[in-house]
Amino acid sequence: MSRIFAIAWKDLRSTMRNVPALAMMLAAPLALSALLGFAFGGGGNFSISATKVAVADLDAPVFTSSSGVASSSAGQTVVGILKSPQLKDILQVSEKPIAAARRSVDGGKAAAAVIIPADFSSVIFSTSSTTPRTAIELYENPTQGIGGSITESIVDQALLELNGARAAAQAAAAVATANGRSHDQAVQKAIKTFVGQGGSSGVAVVQRPPQLGGKKSKDVGITGLVLAGMMVFFMFFGASNVARTILTEERNGTLPRLFTTPTPRRVILGGKFASTYLTVLAQAVIIVVAGRLFFAIDWGALDVVALLILAAAAVASSLGLLVISIVRTPAQAGAIGAGVYLVLGLLGGSFTGTAQSGTTYATVERLTPNGWLLVGWDRALRGGGAADIVWPVLIPLVFAVVFFALAVFRFRRRFA
Amino acid sequence: MSIVEVQELRKQYDPPKGVLAVDGVSFDIAQGEIFSLLGPNGAGKSTTISMLSCLLHPSGGDALVDGHSVVTDSQAVKEAIGVVPQDIALYPDMSARENLVFWGKMYGLAGGELQTRVDEVLELITLVDRQKDRLEKFSGGMKRRVNIGVALLHKPRVLYLDEPTVGIDPQSRRSILDGILALRDQGMTILYTTHYMAEAQELSDRIGIVDHGAMIAVGTNDELVKIVGEEAHVDLRVDHYLDGMVERWAQVLGVTKAMIDEDHAVLLVQDANEVLPRLFEAAAAAGSRITEVNVTEPNLEMVFLHLTGRALRE
Ligand SMILES: Nc1ncnc2c1ncn2[C@@H]1O[C@H](COP(=O)(O)OP(=O)(O)OP(=O)(O)O)[C@@H](O)[C@H]1O
Ligand SMILES: [Mg+2]
Repeated sequence: MSRIFAIAWKDLRSTMRNVPALAMMLAAPLALSALLGFAFGGGGNFSISATKVAVADLDAPVFTSSSGVASSSAGQTVVGILKSPQLKDILQVSEKPIAAARRSVDGGKAAAAVIIPADFSSVIFSTSSTTPRTAIELYENPTQGIGGSITESIVDQALLELNGARAAAQAAAAVATANGRSHDQAVQKAIKTFVGQGGSSGVAVVQRPPQLGGKKSKDVGITGLVLAGMMVFFMFFGASNVARTILTEERNGTLPRLFTTPTPRRVILGGKFASTYLTVLAQAVIIVVAGRLFFAIDWGALDVVALLILAAAAVASSLGLLVISIVRTPAQAGAIGAGVYLVLGLLGGSFTGTAQSGTTYATVERLTPNGWLLVGWDRALRGGGAADIVWPVLIPLVFAVVFFALAVFRFRRRFA
Repeated sequence: MSIVEVQELRKQYDPPKGVLAVDGVSFDIAQGEIFSLLGPNGAGKSTTISMLSCLLHPSGGDALVDGHSVVTDSQAVKEAIGVVPQDIALYPDMSARENLVFWGKMYGLAGGELQTRVDEVLELITLVDRQKDRLEKFSGGMKRRVNIGVALLHKPRVLYLDEPTVGIDPQSRRSILDGILALRDQGMTILYTTHYMAEAQELSDRIGIVDHGAMIAVGTNDELVKIVGEEAHVDLRVDHYLDGMVERWAQVLGVTKAMIDEDHAVLLVQDANEVLPRLFEAAAAAGSRITEVNVTEPNLEMVFLHLTGRALRE
């Protein structure tokens, strides 16, 4: 065991003295994430991580007998639409009092607040001839990327439906009037107003950006996910770097020389496996800590982060070793390895983030270990607990075990 | 008592069509002796060492090292041997000391014993003051010394040295050869390979001459040299009176044969040291002056030439 550690420590130390390797393992993912995170404006469409929306429903339900509509709150209808199961991957809605809703936008905890005014129902259900107007306020943080506009278009859609319902109510009222009921003139005028204005609603969405300055909004989503993707991708290269020393040591004669010492071959290869694993583990820990320090990424619960790092290191090191066990020369290792890792990176969403579940792309991602890891990181970043990452950790570990087993098999045959 | 017994060792790379690098080699090495394998490039020296180090599986035959078979008991063999590979096999980005400590661990040393041995070996290879420098900053000769030092850490019973003096300056070579002799004097058994005739001659208690994977002669230096006869050749030129001088030299004590080869005399003598003064005396008595003398003692070079029809170094 101490000999395994001696070999691992020697390789770790070599890596630490190897500036180009360090640049590739640490500087590249951090720099790329900083660039990409900046390009995406710090939030939004890189991932499908749902937009967080705070809703303040100030609406008072109305009881109007004249409209013929049952007592109801139009505000709750809008809330219901926003919370509908079809939208649960896009919006993550929480109801809050108005002040708290605005605060969560100011604090970066939500991309937008939807504030439904107190007179909302009364306007929606009004049959009055002079169409009253009111507005749903969309309180949005412009630095949060497109999260706000997603919310806006959904609220728009909801209002369109409500206005449609209102038009139908008006029509019903009109029919009633035609049957000899009272104030038919007024109702007719109201309907005309609707039709004449091309169905434009009596309710509009007003946007009001919060005051900038003061507290800087905390960057929750994008950079963390970009960095997670980059980290797993560059861990493949980190692992490959160390695993490749099996080939370079074979060339330089140190591996054959090791085989002439009383240290058994399985211990020597075990040491190489350990150094590969420990190197990428160190790489991941450094990147996660750097992400926290430089980008203020809130990675999530410590146990969840630890599990994800351990699983990622297992996948990266086993794959790196497998590639090395197959190729013959260090040069081949570089070329073939880079190809394999790039394809996996692309398929697994290392550059694009996790796809919306149910899509073909999401299925493809979930065929790769790094795709699963990214799902895990996405959940961790969104505050998921250990229970949420059981599969995103277990499935990569299964990949790792298979890769390790294949690599051991190949190396055994090679160095028998 | 033989500590190494090699029996009909064979190695064919990439059978069935590959090179037959070692073709049924047998020899013994006695406890405490220096045994050299002398042969030209590609003779199969390194391949033999690799099999005796349990690095390569023999295609046939076996060898016992310290009583253990390299085929069936490699672990015990590896504990008994120290191997100095032909090419420097060390970590250039680590210091001399770090290298020694690492390899010491691989030989199963630990703790205080490891540090003590590292200190002793650094002393032995005279690199104490450079121990903290990275190997990549070392000269070729210094690297060679570390390369040897690594194999001494665990005090092996048998040391294999595969051409340890290739490509270094005469001074470093001298210190390495002296070091090897000192190790032998402390009781270590040494298997040495070289293609330098002079090294084999100077170092070895016994020598095996190898060519094309086969052992073509084994013995002490003197035994081998006898293959080409014990007499030295002496070539002589004189300023005049060559015919008369050859007749007179033929009568001199210790000269077994004297003849004329075109413009000079060729004598076979039993001991050049004793005979040469008498040759000069005879020339002076006859009023003739010797202008050139060339003595060729019998040597391994001549043995190799005699046995293979080729020079040792092409
Ligand atoms: N790994 C290998 N695969 C195939 N052939 C090999 C291999 N190693 C050596 N050979 C061949 O085996 C023969 C013996 O090589 P070996 O290295 O044992 O010779 P050597 O006596 O050590 O030569 P040198 O003095 O040049 O070191 C050569 O013909 C060589 O080409
Ligand atoms: Mg050789």
